[in-house]
Amino acid sequence: MSIIKTNDVKKWFGDFQALKGISMEVQEGEVLVICGPSGSGKSTFIRCINRLEQHQEGEIIVDGIELTNDLKNIEAIRSEVGMVFQSFNLFPHLTVLQNVTLAPIWVRKKSRSESEEKAMELLTRVGIPEQASKFPGQLSGGQQQRVAIARALAMEPKIMLFDEPTSALDPEMIKEVLDAMKELALSGMTMIVVTHEMGFAKEVADRVMLFDEGLMVEENTPTEFFDNPQNDRTKLFLSQIL
Amino acid sequence: MNLEFKKSIAWMRENLFSSIPSSILTVATSFFVLGFFRGLFGFAMASDKDWLSVLNNMQLYMVQAYPEEDFIRVWISVGLALVFAGMSIGLWKSTEESSLSEVFSKFLRVSLAFLFFTVVAPTFSSVTDNDGIIQTEESFPMETRLQLLIPSAILVVVFFVLKNLKLNYKFNKSDLLCFYLAIPIVLMWIIKLPTIQLDSSNQRIFPDPLMPIADTTKTPWTIIFGLFLAFYFIGSRFKDSKNIKRTMSISWVLLPLFIFSWIFKKPEIDLPTILGQDIPIFIGIFLIGALTITFINNPVVEKYFSIYLGVLIAITGIALFISIPILLKSALLLLVLFTIVIPAVSSSTKGKRNLIIVWGVSLFTLSVLIRGGSSDTQIIVQQQSIFGGFSLTWLLAIFGTYVSFPLGVLLALGRNSKLPIVRLVCTGIIELTRSVPYITWLFFASVTMAVFLPEGVNFELVVRVLMVTAFFSGAYFAENIRGGLQSIPKGQYEAADAIGMSPFQKTSLIVMPQALRAIIPTLVSSAITAFKDSSLVTIIGLIDFLTIGKVIIGTQSIPVNFVGHDRENLLFIAFFYWIFTFTLSRRSMKVEKRLGLGER
Repeated sequence: MSIIKTNDVKKWFGDFQALKGISMEVQEGEVLVICGPSGSGKSTFIRCINRLEQHQEGEIIVDGIELTNDLKNIEAIRSEVGMVFQSFNLFPHLTVLQNVTLAPIWVRKKSRSESEEKAMELLTRVGIPEQASKFPGQLSGGQQQRVAIARALAMEPKIMLFDEPTSALDPEMIKEVLDAMKELALSGMTMIVVTHEMGFAKEVADRVMLFDEGLMVEENTPTEFFDNPQNDRTKLFLSQIL
Repeated sequence: MNLEFKKSIAWMRENLFSSIPSSILTVATSFFVLGFFRGLFGFAMASDKDWLSVLNNMQLYMVQAYPEEDFIRVWISVGLALVFAGMSIGLWKSTEESSLSEVFSKFLRVSLAFLFFTVVAPTFSSVTDNDGIIQTEESFPMETRLQLLIPSAILVVVFFVLKNLKLNYKFNKSDLLCFYLAIPIVLMWIIKLPTIQLDSSNQRIFPDPLMPIADTTKTPWTIIFGLFLAFYFIGSRFKDSKNIKRTMSISWVLLPLFIFSWIFKKPEIDLPTILGQDIPIFIGIFLIGALTITFINNPVVEKYFSIYLGVLIAITGIALFISIPILLKSALLLLVLFTIVIPAVSSSTKGKRNLIIVWGVSLFTLSVLIRGGSSDTQIIVQQQSIFGGFSLTWLLAIFGTYVSFPLGVLLALGRNSKLPIVRLVCTGIIELTRSVPYITWLFFASVTMAVFLPEGVNFELVVRVLMVTAFFSGAYFAENIRGGLQSIPKGQYEAADAIGMSPFQKTSLIVMPQALRAIIPTLVSSAITAFKDSSLVTIIGLIDFLTIGKVIIGTQSIPVNFVGHDRENLLFIAFFYWIFTFTLSRRSMKVEKRLGLGER
């Protein structure tokens, strides 16, 4: 059963058309990696899925709910979809634990003790339970990104979106974040990952897509995508990146 | 010792005389500072200055025309504030400690200042005599200087030695604060001050005899300090209780309201109105709110909730414009605000029970304050207002900040709102208020405002001034806060959106805390400005702290002649303002430091 379905999604920023009609489906439990050169619309596309950007044409259906201007639908979808950003976007005035418990307490209306227990569980899962009482500013980039993953997971989402989660990290910190993501993928989470980490794509992804100039130019299994690319654009991209 | 000496020489060479230009600058600024203090001390000590014109008028400075038989109310107000302060210092007891040598170094600094004074003070100062001719007189003879020099030098040496013994007893910083506060209280019972005494023919006796401080001053202060200490200890017992801390914070917000509407004002209460009007209104409105909270999860109620809310808002809107008791209007307004947040807060049974308690307490507080505030006062003064002197300055400063800060937050949010009409109105209010000088607004309050008010509605001048002040500083607060809002990166909004927060939660939990923290220095300087600007009310005939010193005392001639003594009063006023603003800015620096903890 497809949990995300998009049909001919188009989006303009002023005169510039960022998305020129994207149609795709994601199955439950699937890990989808989207790659492509910068400006190809891949970030814009996943930001449309939880309405951080508004698409102008086409339809996006997440878990049976269509994204429209209806605030109720948007809130419902946002609580189903977790997101991890390139620049972490942790709340600097709250401790790590407060960052993770904020949404369960205020959005899900769970009790504080229950949320904190769950938060510690999640922080253990991403490997940083000992940092719970620190502020984000006191953590390294890799640790911050893992807190961001825990924060998104605290809402118990069905889908996780990753918008270039490792691009702002020092090379030696990338691995710890990717490990946390791999562990998440193995646990059966539906994931859409925008990334340039081809190693991650090869190892974990069920499907890989290439975006270019607002269009999806290739969609394939990782083995096919890397070993036997069909499109000339894919070949060019892979030759530059590998 | 020798090493230390070498070190300080090295320090001086590095920091004061590192190059020829910096040596010149050091010497020049030192001369400037010395000259400033010489001038100041000379001014203060000249024989034509009558400092008793300040000391003798303390009562006037603080409360102006407030009748003496009701002074107990003033003392209760001060006492309450200090009891609260004691409790809070205990509750938020510092965990830091100072060693004994740090304490001695504080005393060393004080005695050094004293030594500095005795060395620097000029022997001669200029005096203006009755005919306006300036003469030079010897105001600080050498013998006096030597008499003072020896004890102060001894004090400096003693404290210097004590400090360098490096005694390592540790004291809690909050305990130390209480100890420091005890010093003036004890001194009050020991020292004697020159006092104005009149002889049988009502002439002032010269020189002024030294008398102990009046009992009517030192007894209340001692009692208040005793209570302060008692509540300090009570507070430190409960320092782990979050509930008491929360109650304390709310009490601080209510304290000025309570003081000004009940204690200071002495409202005229008539029982029939309370029984026949206040209590029924309280019970009725309370029941409506409580029932809504109880049945909010009932499917039928849930279905018609938005209609109910709409009707409630409409009724309140109409009620504001018809003539019904002001308590009913305010209670309805509170009910609307409360009803809006009910669905968001009350989900569990426990949450509902807590919410009903909060609702009851806040409605009760509102009723009490409105009854006190809207009743006539029993305090009769010849002037129009029972507030004068420092009590007026305080009133304007506290309530000005109090009302204008939330107003500023609302205006800033409104100006950033997506709704065009809200944005337009808020921008309009901000720009209109800021584009007109404060003094113009004061004249508007005193002269023109009555025209704009509906017939029969008339506020006291002080209240009208408070209203324009609230808008005026609110507009400035709003612009400061808007600056803070713009400093929040877009990613914070997106992250809050992505975890499904509602716009209200996003603003109150993510955006506002960060925005306010970013602008604490600007906010404090706005508050200080509001405090100082309150002295402008003098031009519309209100008598504030400054006016007393500048205008009133300078005209006192019977039985003691203080005509022409406004200069020393102005110096005193400047010093008094300085103490408050300096303390405030120091505190804000500490708060800033503490909140900056988690910052990058």
